[in-house]
Amino acid sequence: MAQPILHSEHVHKRYGGVHALRGARLSVFPGEVHALVGENGSGKSTMLKILSGQVQPDAGAFTFGGAATTFRSPTDALRQGIATVTQETTLAPELSIAENIFLGHRMVRRSGLIDWRATRRRAREALARLDLDLDPAVPVRRLRPDQQQMVEIARALSIDARVLILDEPTSSLTDDEVHALFGLVRRLREEGVATIFVSHRLSEIFELCDRVTVLRDGHTVAEGPIPGFDRPSLIEAMTGRAFEDMEAIEHGGDAQEALLRVRGYSLPGVFADVALDVAPGEIVGLAGLVGAGRSELLESLFGLRRGSGTVELGDRPAHFRHPREAIKAGVGFVPADRKLQGLVLQMSVRENLMMASTARIARLRPPRPALELAQVRSAISDLRIRAHSPRVPVATLSGGNQQKVVLGKWLRTSPRLLLLDEPTRGVDVGAKAEIYRLLSEAAGGGIGMLVSSSEIPELRTLCDRVLVMFRGRVVASLAREEASEARIAHFAGGHQ
Amino acid sequence: MTAAPEHVEDRQRQRVLDHAAGVWSSASRYAVVLVLLVVLFVVFSIALDRFATWPNIENLLTSVSILWVVSMGMTFVVLTGGIDLSVGSLLALSGLVLSDLFNDAGLPAWLAVIVTLLIVSVIGGAVNGVFIGKVGLSFFVVTLGTLSLYRGIVNIWSDTKTTYITDPFLDGIGFGKGLGIATPIWIMLATFLIAFVVLRWTYFGRDVYAVGGNIDAARLSGINVARTLIMVYAIAGLCAGIGGMIQAGRLGAASPLVGEDIPLNAAAAVLLGGTSFLGGVGSVVGTAVGVLFIGTLQNGLSIWGVSSFWQQVVTGAILIVAVAIDRLQQGGIRVRRRRTRVAATGGDPPAPA
Repeated sequence: MAQPILHSEHVHKRYGGVHALRGARLSVFPGEVHALVGENGSGKSTMLKILSGQVQPDAGAFTFGGAATTFRSPTDALRQGIATVTQETTLAPELSIAENIFLGHRMVRRSGLIDWRATRRRAREALARLDLDLDPAVPVRRLRPDQQQMVEIARALSIDARVLILDEPTSSLTDDEVHALFGLVRRLREEGVATIFVSHRLSEIFELCDRVTVLRDGHTVAEGPIPGFDRPSLIEAMTGRAFEDMEAIEHGGDAQEALLRVRGYSLPGVFADVALDVAPGEIVGLAGLVGAGRSELLESLFGLRRGSGTVELGDRPAHFRHPREAIKAGVGFVPADRKLQGLVLQMSVRENLMMASTARIARLRPPRPALELAQVRSAISDLRIRAHSPRVPVATLSGGNQQKVVLGKWLRTSPRLLLLDEPTRGVDVGAKAEIYRLLSEAAGGGIGMLVSSSEIPELRTLCDRVLVMFRGRVVASLAREEASEARIAHFAGGHQ
Repeated sequence: MTAAPEHVEDRQRQRVLDHAAGVWSSASRYAVVLVLLVVLFVVFSIALDRFATWPNIENLLTSVSILWVVSMGMTFVVLTGGIDLSVGSLLALSGLVLSDLFNDAGLPAWLAVIVTLLIVSVIGGAVNGVFIGKVGLSFFVVTLGTLSLYRGIVNIWSDTKTTYITDPFLDGIGFGKGLGIATPIWIMLATFLIAFVVLRWTYFGRDVYAVGGNIDAARLSGINVARTLIMVYAIAGLCAGIGGMIQAGRLGAASPLVGEDIPLNAAAAVLLGGTSFLGGVGSVVGTAVGVLFIGTLQNGLSIWGVSSFWQQVVTGAILIVAVAIDRLQQGGIRVRRRRTRVAATGGDPPAPA
């Protein structure tokens, strides 16, 4: 193989007392798709931040195109030819596609005014290069999430990037959109662009990538061509533990009597005529594309939206007008975005854990510190939350531990029904397995669950039954053994 | 030696360390201003004979008592991510309500004071709180509206004239002494302690932080967000009312002109005290430091003979500098590192994006 386009060695970075990188290395060749994997806290994001100039390393040697260099700022990295597309879109929603593509480097005429004609022409060219049939004059807010992501990539490439960093690009995309993105990445590979691809979904890494670098505790613990790895060996490299295959978890709620009974439930324009049952101790999955109405259905059941139809929770009507009513009736809701909706990040682990279960206590009564602390400590050890004290702000925890805090918050309310939206989004492999274990234990205790997820393997691991939604309707109900990846994808795509 | 005692010792040590870390992380938000306050105090004490005397300290504290009390209420509002611009108008209104109840309705002074406080807190909660918490309007729009609205009512009602209130009870609020200390100082202390306890040791206090920290997460956790906001604006109203009572006591009258600069000064004190204007982070301890800083500065400069206009200039400049230092401490390390890096390698500064 030729010379690497980007090579970094002996990279060290400390944040206060945290040693995020201790001599990591990453070497990327032109025209390859290179997977960078590791659990949360492995130093993956620090590495990416260093390469994109957002963070300065304490030590390290870097070459780009064979010459020694450093990346002093995001602009500097960009100018050298490293473009980054992150999970969060950084587009300006009200501006047009063309304006967004040339946001950082406008086409300016000699007079100092913006050359709109050149801007639009160049934007069309950039989109054509990616085979995107989009009008450059359309404001970005009108695009679907995957299209927005494509525009971000178009923007990254408009500066003739030689290395493209894709940081969890697929986390909010549907299967079809993921395939479109992969097609694009492969075309770039043919053009000689090197792509650094970060994803928690191992199947994507095996499908798309040529080589992989594995980080653990700030070290590079493995690197090499993808065919040299299989799923267990990659997971073992990431976690440092022998891999135990995640088998489907058996808990099988006896479907004697429904805990949640929904009939003819509709919300105009969002979902229609939904019928479903959840028995105590049963985990029911909701599959479907983004926009199929899964999240909205969960939100309505929790009282955040007003649907019409029959909803009964244990024989009593359960049309909640507000989350407080739902909680009172024994319903909990784990939202898809824990940072925006699940947690108060500045508050401590303890306060977040106690938030839902104490929401109905008289407000001027003081919390009983000793009792509360005992409860919080037991929750922390039951859920295996890794936090060095219940007092630390929940923002300092890793994604998986944060998600366990959200779960713990609801388990403390002794719920009868839990509604979960993407319960393991942005969570690493190890924490995923622990969350599955916690959920099936809770189901074993008789809690009924409705789990919406865009990861089909997750539903297959977790659920007794999977309902597939398409454009707001439940189009299929598959028992665990029938719920193959192919069948779910078939129904989710709207086929009969 | 068994392992168990060591283990217990470790845990105790850890707990102490955690506690210290917690105290520091909340104190660090106003550490800069606290240091400046101490420096200011030392400098004034050395330079000015009259400064470090009990009568002057008492005078200093009494002169900030109104700002202090109003700022305590304002802290609750700012912690929820809002600001109450109407507290000055409410303060003036409370004087008029008091004068009406006492002079015209003939209530005994102590009862008139209590009823007045109830009325202004209900007004604060029912108007600001309901429109912000229940209807969901922006705090800025609502309190800017009520700022003007209440001030207008005050001017119409009073016909812009001052009415005198002569009563020993009220005089006692303004000028009385308890255990040799002026009553306004006792009121300051009481307001502070109550606010501290409520924020720190009640579920309501936790709600205030949760609503300010992440209103959606709070709502989804079953916290009654609307009620929390209504309560918070009622508390701001109550504190404005208490300030109004001190003001009336000190003037012996209800004047329609009082309290105009109170909302912005209170906001400045809260900000100086390290409470985040985004909500969710801060404390009344910080606010106390902020108020004392403003008070010390004004008192010292007055003795020095510096005009009050210069006091405004200095207060404003320090407000910005203190927040900037705080920002640099928390998030600016990256910026500074990058600069040194550029300087060290002699490279070009990054091109403007």
